[in-house]
Amino acid sequence: MTPPAPSPTPAPPLLALRAVTKRFPGVVALDAVDFDAHAGRVHALVGENGAGKSTLLKVVAGAERPDAGTLALGGAPVSFGAPRDALSAGVTVMYQELSLVPQLRADANIFLGMEPGRHGLLDRHAAAARAGEVLRSLGADFDPATPAGDLSVAEQQLVELARALVRDARLIALDEPTAALSLVETDRLFEQVRRLCARGIAVIFVSHRLEEVRRIADEITVLRDGRRVFAGPAAGIDDAGLIRHMVGRDVEYARLRAARGAPGDPLLEVRSLGSRGRFSDVSLAVRRGEIVGLAGLVGAGRTEVARCLAGADPHDAGAMALAGAPYRPASPREAIARGVVFLPEDRKTQGLVLGMNVRENVTLAALGRFARRGVIRARAEREAATRQTRAVELRPPDIEREAGTLSGGNQQKVVLAKWLLVDADVLIFDEPTRGVDVAAKVELHQLIRGLADAGKAVVVISSELPEILALADRVVVMREGRVSGELPAAGATAEGILALALPASHAA
Amino acid sequence: MAPRAARLGVPLALAGLVLVAGVLIPGFLSPANLTTILLHVSINGIIALGCTFVIITAGIDLSVGSVVGLAGVLTAATLTSGTVLRVAGPGGAAVVAGLVGIAAGAAVGLLNGGVVAKLGVAPFIVTLATMTAARGAARLVTGGVPIGFPDPGDPLYERKIAALDALHAVGGGRIPVPGLPNGFPVPALVMLALVAAGAFVLVRTRFGRHVYAVGGNEEASRLAGVAVGRIKLGTYAICGAGAGLAAVLLVGQLRSGGPDAGMLYELNAIAAAVIGGTSLFGGVGTAWGALTGALLIGVLNNGLDLLGVQSFWQEIAKGVIILLAVLFDVWMKRADARRRARAARI
Repeated sequence: MTPPAPSPTPAPPLLALRAVTKRFPGVVALDAVDFDAHAGRVHALVGENGAGKSTLLKVVAGAERPDAGTLALGGAPVSFGAPRDALSAGVTVMYQELSLVPQLRADANIFLGMEPGRHGLLDRHAAAARAGEVLRSLGADFDPATPAGDLSVAEQQLVELARALVRDARLIALDEPTAALSLVETDRLFEQVRRLCARGIAVIFVSHRLEEVRRIADEITVLRDGRRVFAGPAAGIDDAGLIRHMVGRDVEYARLRAARGAPGDPLLEVRSLGSRGRFSDVSLAVRRGEIVGLAGLVGAGRTEVARCLAGADPHDAGAMALAGAPYRPASPREAIARGVVFLPEDRKTQGLVLGMNVRENVTLAALGRFARRGVIRARAEREAATRQTRAVELRPPDIEREAGTLSGGNQQKVVLAKWLLVDADVLIFDEPTRGVDVAAKVELHQLIRGLADAGKAVVVISSELPEILALADRVVVMREGRVSGELPAAGATAEGILALALPASHAA
Repeated sequence: MAPRAARLGVPLALAGLVLVAGVLIPGFLSPANLTTILLHVSINGIIALGCTFVIITAGIDLSVGSVVGLAGVLTAATLTSGTVLRVAGPGGAAVVAGLVGIAAGAAVGLLNGGVVAKLGVAPFIVTLATMTAARGAARLVTGGVPIGFPDPGDPLYERKIAALDALHAVGGGRIPVPGLPNGFPVPALVMLALVAAGAFVLVRTRFGRHVYAVGGNEEASRLAGVAVGRIKLGTYAICGAGAGLAAVLLVGQLRSGGPDAGMLYELNAIAAAVIGGTSLFGGVGTAWGALTGALLIGVLNNGLDLLGVQSFWQEIAKGVIILLAVLFDVWMKRADARRRARAARI
């Protein structure tokens, strides 16, 4: 896959979108976009959140009808009225939120909706045999009889791919497939993507991670504000060029590490913290004005440690101290009262009440301050919400807007605004910029750095090494539930962190 | 808590129904009939209001009907208890009995909420259990027969009648209003006042905000420091107390408390809440919605009664119109979305 084909378009495209336009209330999601996908090639689709990538995938999948423009498959014009039209034409989209039934076995999921059999009776043996075959061809090593809910995300993705293959897919679109994968799992997925290409399947690959795009893509299309601003072979553009196209200006993925005097005494100290089956013997300290980066692979136990620090989960070994006093929060409520707050990695399920508006979300954790005898003082609440959303530069700055209608970056800003209002001393960020576009990422980094500069103690968990390197004053690396090492900012490199993060067998 | 235009669906359906009934049925729009509807709606309206709090947290309370039975017999028993009558007199007994009824309801609510919040059992199961147990307790207390009119030979006959009359002044009383020949029914007034108070609590207080937050996203609320368990406990207590108060009004109205009172009231209350726009998935609902839903059911019952429709047909019609009301609401929401989409294109 690495050497690009000699001619940019060797054959007519399998899928061709021409001048596709789609409008939603208040926004033009796609504005006369052209897009081609070729058999046996990977076409990456990049752009900030809200650039139109998801809408384009939905049009391809038949989940949204374009307002104008045409689709052609194999040279013939098509019009998908519903996802099942696209499926029967061999077009499959694997969404970020996988669409498996967790209680059903993997093989049953693969054949869901097209179960082999006669007269309504299932031929379970045929299904199991064929599913096992397809899964093996994808390099899966788990039992096809396993309920889908018991599989890892990477394994569930294989089930989805297998589902596409038994339906004779000609085109498979992957929407941020690596977002929840570890490095090793990502490598395996890419191997499978290359195999799909070798079978002559066209692949559309959506990702925020440019280095992944670079590894896998033959062509790249950049969308910005619903328009196609770049399309061409991957070899013809560098990362800086891509970012320039994505944001429409030059941005620096700046190292925000501030040179400051010696940090103060430890504010939050953790000694030999353990929680059975999740992590053990974790010791770390965070000082005022310091950002500690918590690095490691997905599943290394970082989130689990953070949840204990924030009182969300109990621990069963070790001890914690806050400003020298014993600290053992029984609930997030207690932790907040002591000035320790936690920004969870999943905004939608843990960070926000999506059905509530921005104002209600921002004041949720500090509502007592705006209430007199339990009655909310509407004006004080409004003013505080306005002030906080301005501080995080929410766009649009509309405090009455429903949180669920905001883009990912803006949702994260609302979560941040909520915790800034609490005026905590210790802030723990779990993947603060996951699924956030480049420009918002830079803004969030500046906000986090600003907190440390204001004397807060900050912990940042991130799976993106550039983010850790840009933010952290000190990097603590976890591996398989234990701290595997600690690096000062000056000595931290991506390679150094990775060596500590990878399981022993890989590190050697 | 729902898109503004989407909330208009059910009020419009109610207005339409009133209009149609007004045209078809002579006397439907008379002040006397309209106040009768309000009186008949008030018990269900009060229970539906309490259920709305629980349903907004994504819970459910199936026990309210049985609570009406249990709280009712305890109210009636207190009201006609010789000891209470001798100590407090008929008027005092009515006050004490009313408090006993409300407290009994709140106690069952606290039990429901405690098991749901602390032990994490599904609300449907918990309240199904208390629904069964409370009904059994009501029958146990009374031996299966209603408590009310004393025997003519009862030495406390006069005082018991006086106590029943005292509570009847609340449950069946009417406040004189110029222009209303029969006055305005007290239970309807109680309902309207409670709905206004409920709306205030839900919209303007910290507790109310937390009720919506817990129903909208329990985990995010917990991580934001909301005392999720206490909020749930509070909503079930409110719901139980509401059912207890409804029982007191019912005993006053009927001058007796029967162990089988309140059968299927839970379904009417949940129907009213849901028709009024409260989502069973949580996070969405209003106090005024509960009132609107209860009124819609009440107007329907009254209209079909006046038309002389056989009660079997009434039940079928009620089911159909409940479905239509909700479909109308869905249709309004879609129209609203389309309108906004068009506006955005211009």
